[in-house]
Amino acid sequence: MKISDILQPLTAWKNLVKDPITIKDPLNRVAAPRYRGFHKNDLETCIGCGTCEAICQNAAIDMVPVEGIETKDGDSGLRPRIDYGRCCWCGLCVDICTTGSLTMSNAYQWIDNDPEVFRFIPGAEEKPWDTADKGYKRPENYTLNPLKRVSMEELNPADRIQGFMEIVKGFSRDQALQEADRCVSCGICVATCPAHMGIPAYIEAIRNDDLNQGMRILYETNPFPEVCGRVCTHKCETVCSIFHRGDPVSIRWLKRYIADQIPEHEYAAILDSPQEETGKKVAIIGAGPAGLSAAYYLRLQGHTVVIFEAQPEAGGMMRYGIPEYRLPYDQLDKDIKYIKHIGVKIRTETRVGRDISLESLHKDFDIIYAATGLHEGRSTRAKGSDHPKVYQAVNLLRDFTKGLEIPYEAPVIVIGGGNVAMDIARTLARLHMQKMGRVDITLTCLETEDIMPADREEIVEAREEGIQIIPGYGPLEVVSNGDTLKGLKTVRCVSVFDENGRFNPKFDHSDTQFLPASIIVEAIGQGMDLSYIPESIKKEMKTDARGRIQVDAYYQTSLPWFFAGGDIIEGPDVIHAIANGHTAAKRIDHILRGEQ
Amino acid sequence: MDYVIQELKTLFSGQNFEKKRGDLLFATLDTGVLVQALKHLRDMLGFRHLVLITAVDWIEEDLFQITYLLRNYTQKTDVGIRVFVPRSNPIMESIHTLWETAATYQRELHEMFGIDFPGSPRVNKPFILEGWQEIPPYRRDFDTKKYAEETYFPRPGRKTHDPETYMKQKLYPDGTES
Repeated sequence: MKISDILQPLTAWKNLVKDPITIKDPLNRVAAPRYRGFHKNDLETCIGCGTCEAICQNAAIDMVPVEGIETKDGDSGLRPRIDYGRCCWCGLCVDICTTGSLTMSNAYQWIDNDPEVFRFIPGAEEKPWDTADKGYKRPENYTLNPLKRVSMEELNPADRIQGFMEIVKGFSRDQALQEADRCVSCGICVATCPAHMGIPAYIEAIRNDDLNQGMRILYETNPFPEVCGRVCTHKCETVCSIFHRGDPVSIRWLKRYIADQIPEHEYAAILDSPQEETGKKVAIIGAGPAGLSAAYYLRLQGHTVVIFEAQPEAGGMMRYGIPEYRLPYDQLDKDIKYIKHIGVKIRTETRVGRDISLESLHKDFDIIYAATGLHEGRSTRAKGSDHPKVYQAVNLLRDFTKGLEIPYEAPVIVIGGGNVAMDIARTLARLHMQKMGRVDITLTCLETEDIMPADREEIVEAREEGIQIIPGYGPLEVVSNGDTLKGLKTVRCVSVFDENGRFNPKFDHSDTQFLPASIIVEAIGQGMDLSYIPESIKKEMKTDARGRIQVDAYYQTSLPWFFAGGDIIEGPDVIHAIANGHTAAKRIDHILRGEQ
Repeated sequence: MDYVIQELKTLFSGQNFEKKRGDLLFATLDTGVLVQALKHLRDMLGFRHLVLITAVDWIEEDLFQITYLLRNYTQKTDVGIRVFVPRSNPIMESIHTLWETAATYQRELHEMFGIDFPGSPRVNKPFILEGWQEIPPYRRDFDTKKYAEETYFPRPGRKTHDPETYMKQKLYPDGTES
């Protein structure tokens, strides 16, 4: 043994007078500003999408109801409860949080003998660190999933105004896969979709490149994927959880992608065939989206279904209202052909009430479902509006689809701020271009631009196509000289709705305009024609004060054999019609099978 | 840092230079020149401290990226050197002869990614995962969630709700709007 071996340890004594490098009070040691400590959740901002639960690799998060938080459109009412026995503090839940409500404090010290206390709902159960501003937050501009949607290729205004070519081109496979990848599969959108389509499931099918499966999911709730993939009002996208921080997932275009990829002749092999014939018969009045949707689901159950349609072709407003540049006829036909393929019979040019009576249908069929839609244009009833050169948008759109000549003499004034007004204005703009090489159309409506009922993209695109839009003015008088129309006098509208939210426009008569016009088109809304229902039946049917048919949640009227749906009950839009046709079909099927 | 780029370029055919900040540079080298290059950085350019060694699993490209982070305390600058090894045959030369501490990092990478560093002391000994039977857990094809579900049972009293199903129960239980 050397002497140094004995003396060396004594050198440790030199530390005796030094400050210790250990922490005197480790329980009160402050963590770093971005330390990942116990979670905080802003319950007001959180929408309960459950993406935190989905990403957690330790299954530490449960989604649970919280008292006082309501389940509603865009909010599941659930909130994350975290089990700190499993949490590894990785912070992925904070990074993926769709709303940014979930963050972490830098608090990490908490001692308790009861292990149960380490499982709680951040934000709902008060904790000392709820107000701590330090701790881990997702860095600015950092995101695990892309916030920008894959942009959709569209025809440019100069090209599209030349004709009726479809404007939106649709996704390629790569684009669809990329866009589908942005979906976090939370399913918040499903409740908002009137048809409650299996949105996350069909987007997942796209991700898996299994479009046949995607097709089956679409048809579970909607036999019009080509139509809805183009013209759906896509309420689903307004509640998309990704919309809280970025662009909503392009749900509508993804639906279209699935349907576009599958050729018509493959449908039958992919989708379910009708069940065994039941021998029961259902008559449907009107081959629009509601009637066709009800027909499809009834036929699938094995019932005999006959649709009576007044027009030469099936489709209703999808054909006779929506212009071809938004919904090409061959795509609409693709959806309708498959409904016919499974055995739905459509008798076109057969107007119930004129060519066949409702009573005789009642005699020959077990149940009747009426979905006759809104096809009567409403007049502004402005002074002089009964002039022969004042037209109804719905009539012009219908005639144009039928291939008839429609009036287009410039200048044209369109009255109305909804999608139908845009449809007729943009149809006439294309006609102007073809006939005169220039567009001379002015659209005016009561609503100011911020509250115009038309889709935003319709307004933008109409302007791009050369249509002048003058919002915030109401029609005062149609000025004419005999058969010649001179123009429209308008007056500024100060407010459209009264304090109770009722339609009650107020005007400022010191501010008027005169817009020269050769023809005027009114597009301020449509009404229904129920004249096919004889008085004797109408008397027995429950109606409201305004004479509208009353139905229950399953679209059954007070007459057990008579159902009504589509735009005459709610809407107007395609997806509500499809949804309520499906709901009615389910109920009718129950009745026909003698179930309750 | 420009002189570092210059030397790495001319002496070791360095590529993909990325100046993340004024004091932080990344470069990619071939595996064959790595040990020489790190020695040069340490002995000639003052990057005496090995801060860490880490790896990234680029499963789509069938590659592992190994990153060596070095620090120059005089200049207060850092250099990250990246090399790529095939995922199917993940072997990299050991640098424990340059820095003894490298052995620990290499042992960890061996355990977590399955990257071998032949000759590195105790590289085959378990680091933190005793008795590990699965594929190395930092590989991206390791299903962490599945492993957690199979290995650790949930505490009693736990119950979760799927938002889509829960909203259906609450808002449209029989498929119709109320």
